[in-house]
Amino acid sequence: MGRMIPLRYPGKWSIFRLDDRMLLILMGIIVGTCSGLAAVALSRSLVILLEWTHPYRHYWWALFLPASGAMLSSLFMNNIVKEGAGHGVPEVIYSVSRYGGLLRFRSSFSRLISSCLTIGSGGSAGPEAPVVMSGAAIGSNIATFFSLNERQRITLVGCGAAGAISSIFNAPIAGMVFTVEVILGEWTALNIIPIAISSVAGTEISRLLQGNNIVFDHREFDIGFPDTLASFGLAVLCAFTAVLLTHALRGMPHHSARLPLPIWVRAAIGGAVVGVIGSFFPVVLGEGYHSIQEMIDGVYDPGFILVAVGMLAKVAATSFTLGWGGSGGIFAPALVIGSLAGLTFHRGLAFVWPSVAWVNEGCFALLGMAGLISGMLQAPLTAVFLIIEITGDYGVILPLIIVSTISSSVCQYIEPASFYLKELVDKGQLLRPGTDGRVLSDLSIQELLEKDCISVTPDMLLRDFIEIVKRSRRNHFPVEDSESGHYLGMVHLDDIRPYLFNPGMYDAVVLEQIMDRDVEVVYLDEDLTDVLQLMDEKHLFSLPVISNKRFAGMISKATLLDRYRQELRVQTCR
Amino acid sequence: MKLTIDDVARSLDLPLSTVERWIRQGRIPIKRSGHTYTFDRATLERWAKSHNLAFSVQNVVAAPEADLSGVSDSVHGGETLLSAMKRGEVLYGIHGNTVDEVLAAAVTAMGVFPSEVKTELLGRLLERERLTSTGIGKGVAIPHPRTPLSDEIDRSVIVTSFLDRPIDYLAVDNRPVFVLFFLLSPTPRQHLQILSRLSFCVRDDGFVNFLKSIPDREAFLARIEAFEMALDQKGLV
Repeated sequence: MGRMIPLRYPGKWSIFRLDDRMLLILMGIIVGTCSGLAAVALSRSLVILLEWTHPYRHYWWALFLPASGAMLSSLFMNNIVKEGAGHGVPEVIYSVSRYGGLLRFRSSFSRLISSCLTIGSGGSAGPEAPVVMSGAAIGSNIATFFSLNERQRITLVGCGAAGAISSIFNAPIAGMVFTVEVILGEWTALNIIPIAISSVAGTEISRLLQGNNIVFDHREFDIGFPDTLASFGLAVLCAFTAVLLTHALRGMPHHSARLPLPIWVRAAIGGAVVGVIGSFFPVVLGEGYHSIQEMIDGVYDPGFILVAVGMLAKVAATSFTLGWGGSGGIFAPALVIGSLAGLTFHRGLAFVWPSVAWVNEGCFALLGMAGLISGMLQAPLTAVFLIIEITGDYGVILPLIIVSTISSSVCQYIEPASFYLKELVDKGQLLRPGTDGRVLSDLSIQELLEKDCISVTPDMLLRDFIEIVKRSRRNHFPVEDSESGHYLGMVHLDDIRPYLFNPGMYDAVVLEQIMDRDVEVVYLDEDLTDVLQLMDEKHLFSLPVISNKRFAGMISKATLLDRYRQELRVQTCR
Repeated sequence: MKLTIDDVARSLDLPLSTVERWIRQGRIPIKRSGHTYTFDRATLERWAKSHNLAFSVQNVVAAPEADLSGVSDSVHGGETLLSAMKRGEVLYGIHGNTVDEVLAAAVTAMGVFPSEVKTELLGRLLERERLTSTGIGKGVAIPHPRTPLSDEIDRSVIVTSFLDRPIDYLAVDNRPVFVLFFLLSPTPRQHLQILSRLSFCVRDDGFVNFLKSIPDREAFLARIEAFEMALDQKGLV
C-alpha cells in the first residue's frame, strides 16, 4: 500500500500547511455549494407541491389542506426525526455561542422536509429559516468530519447560513450580512472571507440551476422628496407591525399548549384555522412571493380596508401556522406583511394628501418589506442589502436606509431583544463573542481553582494548627471530616488571631470550636455568572468550592481577574 | 523546539484544562496531525506576545506542583543546614581569650575564603559583635555580618569552630561559649531560614551535650542530617 492521503485531516495537506485560511476558503466553497443545493431543493419542491395542489384549490375541502400539511409536518418532526418545531435560527445561534457550532446531522434535512410540508400545503411560513438551519448543520457536520476546531466550525456554520440565504434569494451580500449580523454577531478578518466565498458559491449554484433572476423584478421608481419624508411614518408603522407579529408569534404557543391534545392534533387545528382565513384572504396562504410580486408591480387590487385587514390576517395566519406546531420561518411572511403594510400606508397617504405626487405604491410595498424585516430581526443592514438585491433597485436606497434603521431602533426600544434572540436572551444564553457573558461561560470553575489550601480536621489542636499556619501561604483553611473527608467548614486566619500569641490556649482549643460552618460555598459545576453575583451580593473576595461533598479548592476574584483578562485577550485580538 | 501540552500549560501559568479548551476552540496555534498535535515554541511565543500573555519556558524547569511538600520545599529554598555546613568547614582547637581574638583566629584558620575577603569579613563580624553579642546561650554563638555577603558567596556557608577552651562571650545567659557557628549568607532570606533551623538544633539539650563532646566532622554532620530530617518530617521550619 502506498501512502494514504489523510482525507479527513486536511490540515496535513501540504497546500494548507501554509495557512489555515486557505483551508477555510476551500471548506467555504464546499459548504456554500451544499447549502445552496439544499435551498434550491426546497424552493423547487415547494413549486412542485404548489403546482400539484393548485387544481384542488377551488374545492371546498381545500380548506383542510394546510391542516393536513401542518399535521404531517408535526408528526415528522416529533416522531421521526425527534426535533422541536420552530424555525431553527435560535438553535443555530445557541449552538454557535454555547457548543462551538455543533449541530446534529439530521438537522441538515429535517426542517427542509417539515417546512416543505407546511408551506407547500398552504401554511403561512417561509422557507428561509429552515434553509439557514440546514445550511448551518451542513457546515457544522462538514467541519466535524474534517476534525476542524471550534472557531473554524463556527465559521463554517456561518458559511452554511450565508450560502443558504444567498442561494434562496439570489442575494450574496444579504447572505453575508445576515450571517455576520444575526448568526455570528462578530465580524473578523478571519471569518468574513470564507463566508463571502460561501455566499458566492451558494448564489452561483442557484444561478446555474434556476437562472439568474432577480426575485422581485419591477420597473423603476421615481422617488421624490415627499416620499423620503413619508418613509419616516412608514418606519413607525412597520415597527409596530413587527412588534405585533413578534408578540403574536411568541404568545401563540402558550395558548396552544393549554389544549390537552397531542402535538400533531394541535398543528392540525392551527392549520385548519389558516385554511379558513385563507378561504377569505388567499394572500395569506403559503410563502406569498406571488402576492409580493403583484404588490410591487402595483397591480394588487383590494382597497385600503381590505389591505389593512389582509395584513392582520397574514399576522394571524402566520402565528397560527408557526405557533401551533407548523414548521417554517418568518422571513417570507414578514416580507408579505411588510409589503401589505407599505401598501396600507401608501393608500392612507394618498387618501389624506391626494394632491401630492406620491411614487408608485410598489415602492412603498418594497420599503415596507425592509421595515418589517429590520424590525423583526433588528438587523437593519440585512434588510437594506436584502431588499436592494431581491429587487435589483439601487434607486430606493435613501428611503430604504431610513425605514430600516428607524424601524429597527423603534422595535429595539419597545422590545430590546429581536425575535430570533428573545428566547436566548430570556434564558441568559445569548453569548456574543468578546462579551462578558461569553468569557464567563467559557471559563469554568475547574480552571480557576486554587488548590494550595491546606486541609485541617475538626479535632486538630490549635497548637498543631499553628504549625500548619506557618507553612501555609493562604489565610483560608478548609476543615474536612477526618474519616469521610467531607467538607465541614472553614477556618480563617482572622479567626485564630486573638489566640495566636497565647500559648495557654494552644492545647485548650480544637478547631471544631473555631471553625465557621456557615461559609457561603459554590459547587464545581456552577456557572461563573452566578458565582460572581454571589460574591458581589455578599461582598466576598473568595469562596470555597465543593465537589461531591469534598473541598475542591478556593475560587477568588484575583485569579478570576487574571484568567478573565487572558481569556478576553485570546478571544478578541486575532 | 517542540513543547508538550504540559509544558505549554506551565509556560503560560494556566491550568491544563484551559489549554485543552483553547485547543478545542482553536484559539491557540498548534501543529496538528490527526489526533495528535504538537506546539512550536517560536510560534507560541509570537502568539503569546501578540495576545499580551506571559509566556516563559523557564517555568518548565521550575516544575514541582504547588502541593504541600512543594510549599515547605520552597520555604527554605532547598537550603539546609547540612548543605551549608558541607560547603563550609569544621575547625577545631581555635585559641583565644577574648571575643576579638577568637574571631580573628577562626577567620584566619578558614580555608574557604581568599585572604582579602577574610580581612573584610573579620571587620564586619566584629562590627556586628559590637552591636550585641551573638552568643545565643547554652555556650553557643552564631557570629555573622550585619548585611549579607551577596558579592562574595552565592549559597549559604556555615563554618563551625570548636574552641580549645570556653571563653566569656557576653552571651545572653552569661555562660561561656565553646562553639561558634559562622553563618554567612548571600541573602537575608537565606540567613533567616538557616538561623531558624540552627536555633531549633541549639534549643535541644541533647544536641548541645553532643556538641560539648567535640565530635569529629563525620559524626557531627551525621547528627545534623538526622536532626534536619526530623525537623522536615515535623514540618516545623
